[in-house]
Amino acid sequence: MTNRLKNIKPIAQKVGDVKNSIFITVIALLGITLLLDIFVVEKIFNPLTYLYIVLGILFVRYGIPLLYTSRRLIQYYWQRASRNKLAVGGLAFILFLILLALIGPLFTADPTAVNFEEKNLPPPGFTLEESVYDLKTGQFITNRITGTTQHPLGTDDKGRDLLAMIISGARVSLQVGLFATGIAIALGTLIGVTAAYLGGKMDNVLMRFTDIMMTFPFFLLLVFIVFIFGPNLALIVIVIGLTGWTGTARLIRSETLSLRTREFIMASKALGASDGRIILSHLIPNVISLIIVIATLSIPGVILAEAALSFIGLGDPTVASWGMILKAGQQNLDTTWWVAVAPGIMLFLTVLAFNFLGDGLRDAFDPRSNV
Amino acid sequence: MKKTWLRDYIIKRLLLAIFIAWAVLTITFVLVRVGPTSPADKYLANLTARGQDAAQVVAAIEARYGVDIPIYEQYINYIVNLGRGDWGWSLSTSMPVMELIKTHWIYSFQLIFLSSILAALIGILIGIYSAVRQYSKTDYIATFFSFIGISIPNFWLGVMLILLFSVKLGLFKTYYDTGIPLFSLANLQQLILPVITLGTGMMAAYTRYTRSAMLDNLRKEFVRTARAKGLPERTVIGKHVFRNAILPLITIIMFDLGSIVFGGAYLTEIIFGIPGLGQISFNAIFADDYAVVVAVTVISAFLILMINLITDITYTYLDPRIRYD
Amino acid sequence: MTETILRIRNLRTYFFTRRGTVKAVDGIDFDLLKSKCLCLVGESGCGKTVTALSILGLIDSPPGRIVGGEIYYNNLNLLECPPDQLRRIRGKEIAMVFQDAQSALNPVFTIGNQIVEQVKLHLGATTREAKEKALSLLEEVGIPTPEKVANYYPHQLSGGMRQRAMIAMSLSCDPQILIADEPTTAVDVTVKAQILDIFNQLKNTRQMSLLFITHDLGIVSEIGDRILVMYGGRVAEAATVSGLLNNPKHPYTASLIRCLPDITQVKDRLETIPGTVPSLIDPPGGCLFHPRCDKALAICREETPPPFIVAEGHTVFCHLYSHLER
Repeated sequence: MTNRLKNIKPIAQKVGDVKNSIFITVIALLGITLLLDIFVVEKIFNPLTYLYIVLGILFVRYGIPLLYTSRRLIQYYWQRASRNKLAVGGLAFILFLILLALIGPLFTADPTAVNFEEKNLPPPGFTLEESVYDLKTGQFITNRITGTTQHPLGTDDKGRDLLAMIISGARVSLQVGLFATGIAIALGTLIGVTAAYLGGKMDNVLMRFTDIMMTFPFFLLLVFIVFIFGPNLALIVIVIGLTGWTGTARLIRSETLSLRTREFIMASKALGASDGRIILSHLIPNVISLIIVIATLSIPGVILAEAALSFIGLGDPTVASWGMILKAGQQNLDTTWWVAVAPGIMLFLTVLAFNFLGDGLRDAFDPRSNV
Repeated sequence: MKKTWLRDYIIKRLLLAIFIAWAVLTITFVLVRVGPTSPADKYLANLTARGQDAAQVVAAIEARYGVDIPIYEQYINYIVNLGRGDWGWSLSTSMPVMELIKTHWIYSFQLIFLSSILAALIGILIGIYSAVRQYSKTDYIATFFSFIGISIPNFWLGVMLILLFSVKLGLFKTYYDTGIPLFSLANLQQLILPVITLGTGMMAAYTRYTRSAMLDNLRKEFVRTARAKGLPERTVIGKHVFRNAILPLITIIMFDLGSIVFGGAYLTEIIFGIPGLGQISFNAIFADDYAVVVAVTVISAFLILMINLITDITYTYLDPRIRYD
Repeated sequence: MTETILRIRNLRTYFFTRRGTVKAVDGIDFDLLKSKCLCLVGESGCGKTVTALSILGLIDSPPGRIVGGEIYYNNLNLLECPPDQLRRIRGKEIAMVFQDAQSALNPVFTIGNQIVEQVKLHLGATTREAKEKALSLLEEVGIPTPEKVANYYPHQLSGGMRQRAMIAMSLSCDPQILIADEPTTAVDVTVKAQILDIFNQLKNTRQMSLLFITHDLGIVSEIGDRILVMYGGRVAEAATVSGLLNNPKHPYTASLIRCLPDITQVKDRLETIPGTVPSLIDPPGGCLFHPRCDKALAICREETPPPFIVAEGHTVFCHLYSHLER
């Protein structure tokens, strides 16, 4: 695949000089935003910073050149995927969410700032009737609280701005989703490709191990480990990543098995390429579309797992995640219902967007489907 | 011929299941004991503040929790007791763990059983209909709603159902009442919201799986043969196509039951206060009642293994082409 | 003269795809006589199978639809008969043998089960009767151990055995008409001869009408009474088998016969027909064969040739014979 693209390169340069410069500008802007984000905003979330920086650098070093060389392929698949309106909608929402998470914190209030003066504010346009015991008269009086535009989504029972919390939650969810999926996919791909490529005993051992991992009651294990080692976002990410690779390994293995006997693999074997080289430069590029689809479709599960953990009170207490807001909202469901509604909707839309996108991508990558 | 290899296969799988269950047991056991939080930590500050001697307190607590002896001895004791059917003593509820599980498993079972059966039935029916009428309006609507069903976080759905039907409309109680006898209409009624909470995601997933499995098989040539034989459409779809589509479905449904449903039931029990195994292990975690946690985790793992084994055996009967060696 | 059991007039079956309308069958006529064998011959994609499926009402819709014509079974127009009545005819009065028994048989039911199902449905037999019937059918098609084979699943049988089982199944309700869609294509040469023998026997013992679809003129000479050569969804030539093989009139038929490999002669290379099968979405005007025809006239580009009768029971659709009676 890469070789073919190299041949296209000179032609493409002649054809689309303008397009290329736009592309480079966009990529450069993206890189700058990313770096800016790491240094400016990331101070709030310490545990994941190192992982974040490493992944950011890896992305700038390897991801961007790869995107650049395969832009025609991307264009082709984008054309196929863009016929699915739901997938386009999903992608738009995800991009919006990423933007919100990246630059949102610069514009909103501190999500952890407690202000009891402004507690339980409903979103503008709603009113809340509250019975308050008046010390002076010694009677219950009904207080009407109306929302203000200063807090577009209202506040919670500690007066924290819900919009700021939601934006901070978006960061948490995306970080957990991307990092944990990244770990899981990398592990799964490695194990799947190795098992299929080496075959025989190695395949047997790796696949039995995968089977065993699959039978673990994953969520119970997660709850258990997080409780024992303390709620910490990095730990949650790592545990989800280290346990969530089994499905990927199986899918990648079966895909690789069908590739292994193809002529181009045989040819490079005959030319004396080492196993490692064949795996890295021939097998993995050919399963990359499958990897992208699996990644897109497994992000929602990961986001939900973290949210569920926070919801039952095992989330990282130093960050405001959607699950945690939801938990707080659930406790005062009869009065401040909006606190439970807003994070849920965000969670739902995010998961929906990834599902739509993943489904559209799967169809786009499937040569048999005529989208 | 089939019987012998199947018997050997089942024995092999059972041995493997026992081995894996043992591995899960060992891992959880070790995790509990080597984890940074010792049961003593929680009470230590409290008790030393009252002027008690720290070392004495730690020793007393560790003795009470049975962690004052080396870990391998604890482990051997645990396994020996387990051999006698003794899962240990639950400190937070002051009863044997076995007793606790015996009284609570039924609550989890009724929830999971009702949700899975309903979700599978409805999901499969909608999926079949959707596949047969591919690209019709009904199909689009079903597909859209199944996407929503898959994407909606079930714990949030639970909270929203309580908000709408219990808090605002007052149709249901917000909490599960254990005083109601299990086999009564009132119990079914209070299970409605939990079952919807747990079942919606499953149902949506089954709709999608069924639809795609049916579509795969509807295009196969044997469908044309079945029609050429003059079979009514009902038989063609319901027997010839569905019987082939059910094969991948069973694997997926059973896998879900193992991995997703157990987690979903855990959350659902917590939201609605249903005292099932999920709820007791959740409470046990916060009460440092590790015997219960280990037991529930190991039992869940073993159940998942058994479900997988039953799936594989069912498979050999449904798909004559399969042979496990 | 023997009576006509199946009469097809001006049958047109089109497929409406995104890229355009495919006229897979575009106005064909033929008669199938009682207890005779009619062979439909032509290259892949010429509409043979679509014709067969149209008769049974098994065209996938969408995208396919029978847009016109008549299919008379005895005196019943199958295109106008209600779906339920047509369904009762399928498998009972008109049965079909498919090309690839491997994929045409349902993999998860036993051979016996698949035959019994059909017998019970159409003949109202009890399970026991149906089972006996299935065994005798399997025996009739030359399966040596019917009791064993009835309990086998399709994947446990060899290709030849599967095809026999498929034939047994199609015979299960003693159909008046048997349509065989290239039943020998997916099996190897030795089995092919055996399968052909079975069809020949059936023709003699059962007094059944056979519509045999093939691209192999060698098979036609062994089994057929009459032959219909199709090209691009239309009839090119229709005649008795001996009349057509000895005296082909249509240039297409002639080149088909030339292409037959003759093992008695050593040739440097096999004959081929130049050019490719025409696109049925955007077919050439006039005679569909004219771009590949070495005898093409000016009129061939303009007008679709009408039928000309060259001999008793020998019709050809070609402008070369315009001097003859239509």
